[in-house]
Amino acid sequence: MPMIKILCFMMVGLLTACGNMADDLNPSGNDLRPSVVANSIGSSPTQVLADFSAPKTTADSFTLSDYLAGGAQASDAIVFYFTMWCPICMSHGDHILYNIMPQFQGRGTVRYVLIDYVSGSIAATTTSEAANGYTGSPFIVLADINQALLTQLQGAMGKTIVLDSNGIVLMNEDFRTGDHLISTLDNLLP
Amino acid sequence: MMTLKDVWMTLSGVIFFAVSFNVMPTTTLAASCCGGGSGAGLLLPKLKDNMVGITIDYEKYDGFWDNEGLWRADPAGSSLSQTRFNMGYAKRITPNWQASIGLPYVRNDNEYSQNTFKNKGLGDSTISLWYEAFDEITCTFLVETWEDLKPAMYFGATLNLPTGISPYDDVQNNFDITGRGFYRLDMQALFDKTVYPWNASIAFNYGTHLQRSINREYGAYVEPYTKKLGDRKSISISAGYTVFLKEQDTLTFTAAYSDMREDKSTIAGLEDSTSGMKRRGFAFTTVWASADKSDVYKLTFSHAPQYNDWGQNFPTTQILSMGVTHAYD
Repeated sequence: MPMIKILCFMMVGLLTACGNMADDLNPSGNDLRPSVVANSIGSSPTQVLADFSAPKTTADSFTLSDYLAGGAQASDAIVFYFTMWCPICMSHGDHILYNIMPQFQGRGTVRYVLIDYVSGSIAATTTSEAANGYTGSPFIVLADINQALLTQLQGAMGKTIVLDSNGIVLMNEDFRTGDHLISTLDNLLP
Repeated sequence: MMTLKDVWMTLSGVIFFAVSFNVMPTTTLAASCCGGGSGAGLLLPKLKDNMVGITIDYEKYDGFWDNEGLWRADPAGSSLSQTRFNMGYAKRITPNWQASIGLPYVRNDNEYSQNTFKNKGLGDSTISLWYEAFDEITCTFLVETWEDLKPAMYFGATLNLPTGISPYDDVQNNFDITGRGFYRLDMQALFDKTVYPWNASIAFNYGTHLQRSINREYGAYVEPYTKKLGDRKSISISAGYTVFLKEQDTLTFTAAYSDMREDKSTIAGLEDSTSGMKRRGFAFTTVWASADKSDVYKLTFSHAPQYNDWGQNFPTTQILSMGVTHAYD
């Protein structure tokens, strides 16, 4: 009997220490997104993403404004994907590379950008890029050394962000099936 | 003098402890970055009414299988591990029915590239109900008739409760996760046969996840949608050998092979082609049972070979488990 009491005591202690539990035991379908002002600076849909620079694995840097309308490498759309080179990340990355990119070839200029927010250095990101077979691929790979982009874009593993040519955020969510990414690009591109 | 009943109680406790805590598929197969940390099940030996159990699992991650089943290494400098402290209690309801609960406490300890992530919290817990489809002892020393070959048959149902920390909670990143965030109902069958000193078992599991609403991902609220993880199927087989020690203690060595597969998820009714899982592996267990037949100690090493096609969308891990159960009337 003492063992049962000890076990019950430990279970109650663990249960009361866990504040997140109710969110999964009784999940909500309510839309709790905070309202944002369209065209204000931010990373939620309808907002404008502030300019930033981050190092690429090709030794130069990626400056957002260069890839927007009026920039030296203007694009019709930019797709950011946050990767930590994990199984899910690689599955999503391969899906973008082999299924989504071919669908939109010839429909304007789309930049696909992988943001490595965990490696912590350009060298480590470059090594991971090579180890996972992405060297020489159409992906632009950024090293988010201090996780500044993770913060600015509300990033997380698998987060996918789509910008139009003016830097307006059209989508910011988990990759999921990739279908929303496809429909977003389909609506945006010529 | 050890009676047949005593031997049966000892062996059933040893075998079922080994099978239920380790060989039988559990959601401990899930990864740190994908969730995981389920509680382990408990199975009472016949003629015992109560059991408490504690196990400590140390799971070390080393690479993963991608969506094509190709094994890939983690980034250089990575060190990923999860420690689970599992508590369980089983109660006999009738001579052939028993119920149990399992509650894990999970600690994630990860160094990934140059970042350190540590988190701890409750994992996904379990509630189980088992039916024992036999009344008499099925273990034997000799096979003289067809009746002697009859195995012990167990049929069970386990409800996995999303009590852990999932990607849909208020978490910063995937390293904080200790659970998958979904209810799952498992139907299980276990067939076990002992002809001393040998024993063998085969276990089947079919689990279906319940669809849920999601309105938050990694702490950020998103447009609500529904998601359902794929059905999970697994099978495990094991074989063991028991040595009788002095003073009627026993030492049992068990080797097991398991194969787990999970179908692709659906999001808002659409199949997620990037999802689905597979994992195959081995487990080697040594179990010592005390002379009074009530205390069982276990040490298990679970190994997943780093070969292509031994997994899919799943981390490759090695698990060291230490556990003890105490059964009483």
